Amino acid sequence: MTPPPLLPRRMAGAFALGCAVLAVLPALDLSPYAHNQLTLSYVMIAGALAWNWMGGFVGQVSFGHAAMFGVGAFVAGRLMLDGLPAPLCWLAGGAVAGLFTLPVHPTLRLRGPYFSIATIGIGEVSRVVFTYWEGFTGGATGLSLPVTAVQKYQLYWWALALAAMVALASIVIRRSSFGLRLLAIKADVDAAADVGISAALYQDVMFALSGAVIGVSGGIFASYFVFIEPGDMFGFDRSIAFVLMAVIGGVGTSLGPALGAVVFVVLRTQLLASYPELHLGLYGVLVIVIILFQPLGITGLLGSLARALARRMQRRIFGRPRRTPPPAPGEA
Amino acid sequence: MSRFVDLTLSTVLLTGLYATMAYGLGLIYGVLRVVNLAHGGVIMTGAYLGWILYVRLGIDPYLTIPIVGAICFGLGVAMYSGLVRWLPRGAAGGPASLLLLFGVWLVLRNVAYGLFTGNDQAILTSYSTRSVAVLGLHVPLTRLVVLGIGLAIAALLHLLLRRTLVGRAIRAVAQNADSCTLVGIDVNRIYMLTFGIGTALSGIAGVLLATVFPFNPNAGAPELLKSFVVVVLGGLGSVWGIALAALVLAAAETYAVLIMPSYLTAAVGFVLLVLVLVLRPGGFFGHRILA
Repeated sequence: MTPPPLLPRRMAGAFALGCAVLAVLPALDLSPYAHNQLTLSYVMIAGALAWNWMGGFVGQVSFGHAAMFGVGAFVAGRLMLDGLPAPLCWLAGGAVAGLFTLPVHPTLRLRGPYFSIATIGIGEVSRVVFTYWEGFTGGATGLSLPVTAVQKYQLYWWALALAAMVALASIVIRRSSFGLRLLAIKADVDAAADVGISAALYQDVMFALSGAVIGVSGGIFASYFVFIEPGDMFGFDRSIAFVLMAVIGGVGTSLGPALGAVVFVVLRTQLLASYPELHLGLYGVLVIVIILFQPLGITGLLGSLARALARRMQRRIFGRPRRTPPPAPGEA
Repeated sequence: MSRFVDLTLSTVLLTGLYATMAYGLGLIYGVLRVVNLAHGGVIMTGAYLGWILYVRLGIDPYLTIPIVGAICFGLGVAMYSGLVRWLPRGAAGGPASLLLLFGVWLVLRNVAYGLFTGNDQAILTSYSTRSVAVLGLHVPLTRLVVLGIGLAIAALLHLLLRRTLVGRAIRAVAQNADSCTLVGIDVNRIYMLTFGIGTALSGIAGVLLATVFPFNPNAGAPELLKSFVVVVLGGLGSVWGIALAALVLAAAETYAVLIMPSYLTAAVGFVLLVLVLVLRPGGFFGHRILA
């Protein structure tokens, strides 16, 4: 028996079509506002999906991903100031961010709440250390990156490419046997160990991969905002953002966090414009409602809507399901 | 030499605060196996409650402790019966309970922002700057009071858990909830009560914190981390184990200024956490559950 394909043809086709449409959008007279929102969404889609590799696939909720986001951003920023081409800088930033998780993680190999709280520690410590490491991050004054307006405009496609690659990787990981092993670890570490799956190893690998992708998205984010400052890039609110996007979209689903990222970016812009004092609390309420009523977030909601719709269609076409005996002929 | 005495004194004075912070988290974790991620938010809420009672009604900050405790007890009961109770238990409930209580934290933070803005606040009383002479040293009065209240709370909690029927029921539920149902303990009620007491302790810790340090709605993450370090270090064995662990954390943080720049002391708790988890995952002082 051959295993099911990692990427069914129809799914690949739909995916390619979607990316192509998004890629030609700017040619169709896109408003600067929409251009900005889309670019930002792509960066955040990559970040949210990468967070989900750890928080959703392995089941290890991290509140410290800002550390890798910041490391990626500042490494990329430094290299860009040295005159290297931007894409190379982003990749280098991602690589360093991925490596950054390694010294922290094998010493911990924690599960559940231990991991989550240790990640708060990772985030806080990196924020403090990098804020005071002025030679590298510029301290409280931050760094200004050499990015021209044209380059900034072109970031749309770079960010789209990153988001597409990460989305593709998420689908493939989810459908591969590797993804199944991650699922086994998430469901029961001990049982997974009994069938020869090393939770520690897989966790390390996923943490590093997730950190690397977050690092690359941090680099692109930095280029887009031109000016970066460690207090903000390493801040707790950045870590929170990744958690929120994934939860809103659907933790553990392959593409849910992408939806969550779009919702988050758009909602954030709207809220910061009209009700700046409400935006965190609204997310808090949203998280509570989602966890209690629809743990799979928007994805779960869409799923149940689709099922309800399908039932309705079925009823339309084939009549009511025959739970009660059909009315006798002539009665109606 | 005098610097050494100074640092030792600061250590002892910090211990009461850290221990009180940790009891709230440790009690809930020990009994419900749920890490109250809203812990930092409750500490912040307690700080604001104490502050508003002092500023608006003129009640002495240390006399607000019973009021804040009662309010936070109600908050905890509401959090348990409204939210935590409906989650699945065990491995499946782990990430869910973390995220749920994280949502509560965000809401608390936002409410504080909305009501009191993001500015730093502090409880300043007529005696805030006064100090008393102890062994020839000048000790800030507020810090001494905080230490005393911390010790009193530890003693009360110890008595509650060891000497009362409710305390015995709480310990029994922590050990084996299913058997408790068999002997007629209303487990759900004990969970609710424990969550309430734990939250009340966090709130009281907030008042204590507010009389010594300034605070703002963003406060909470370092407090959560420190409380967790103390709980992990002390294990869930006993009230005094946690007090001892609080002393260790306070000492590590205070003496760290001798070997590293002061801004890095924020990292001390984290490093300690890593060390403990690698060396003694069960905690240094036993890991029986409040038995």
